[in-house]
Amino acid sequence: MNLIVSDRNLAVFQENHPSIKFVDLSILNIANCVGCFGCWTKTPGKCVIRDDAVKVYPLIAASEQILYVSKIKYGGYDTIMKTMLERNIPVQQAFIRLFQGETHHVQRNVAAKKAVIIGYGDISAEEQKIFCRLVERNAKNMSFESYSVKFVSENEVEDAVRNEVAIWEK
Amino acid sequence: MGKIMMINASPRAPKSNSKEYAKLFAQYFSSETEYCEVKKSNHLMLCQKTENFSDILFVFPLYADSLPVTLLNFLKTLEVNPPQRKPTISVLVNCGFIEPEQNNIAVEMLRLYCTTNGYPFGSVLKIGSGEAILTTPFRIFLKAKIKKFAASIKTQKYDTFQVTMPISKKMFIRASDVYWEKYGKKNGVTKEEMKTMKIEE
Repeated sequence: MNLIVSDRNLAVFQENHPSIKFVDLSILNIANCVGCFGCWTKTPGKCVIRDDAVKVYPLIAASEQILYVSKIKYGGYDTIMKTMLERNIPVQQAFIRLFQGETHHVQRNVAAKKAVIIGYGDISAEEQKIFCRLVERNAKNMSFESYSVKFVSENEVEDAVRNEVAIWEK
Repeated sequence: MGKIMMINASPRAPKSNSKEYAKLFAQYFSSETEYCEVKKSNHLMLCQKTENFSDILFVFPLYADSLPVTLLNFLKTLEVNPPQRKPTISVLVNCGFIEPEQNNIAVEMLRLYCTTNGYPFGSVLKIGSGEAILTTPFRIFLKAKIKKFAASIKTQKYDTFQVTMPISKKMFIRASDVYWEKYGKKNGVTKEEMKTMKIEE
């Protein structure tokens, strides 16, 4: 499955792209993770907060190609995307494994994926550097077998997404 | 230096390990401390309160490789409601993994925030195995490091520290298996059930 998870509405969502699933986080009701470990130790694989996030993390887990579109804040994802990423932990087990020489959580049924991250906003060189290092770390915890990061201004987002969609649909 | 405001930005602040770390810090810090928790409704009150302190200590867990949303949102409020005199900001961050270095990105994000917004940056303590270390005999290593960390802020000889359980990664994985198995058992959930590969099925 090809998936786009965006923190804003995009015109491309209104078009017909049968091979791509779109998620616009900005219109969903997603509460903050409360760090209760319920998805690991009470209802494994399921978040105890039954809001819209429970429809999104199974899609993220199943996707083989994924495009994240997020505003960047302080060198990381801004609130909307970060809230979803924190609610994504039911896709992992509590248990720890060694992965690339570091300790990380064991993944449940999460497809290895090719990821593209479009970070947008007025992003300084220092923020870009930190964000790239963040995505490098995310890759280990979010099953990216490969990834690329692209930075664009707010008004270049639509074009950047369209370019990625065109590559997927080739 | 004057007083330090310890701001716990854990999403589960009242029951968090961050609260325990803040308590230990207060024990070893020889000047006045005040403990606060970030809640959705108290951002502005906390921002106003920062006026009364020479130092801020952010205490929080690593979430998805970076700052928890609780802290991110508070920082955004603080950015538009800054104190007139900028306190020095220090950081105490913990992650559940054995490598304290996994906290580095969160520290860099806060360092950037300080540079951009004109706050002097103080000391850093990065804790690995942060979910369990408090309940193990290795707590003594943690206490010793918090003591040094607190002294560095008190004397304004700012530095970066880290601490974790002094065991091999393989031993850590075995110990964490036991820890989590017990955690599940308290909820009536077996290890096998916790190991399910299913997601929302």
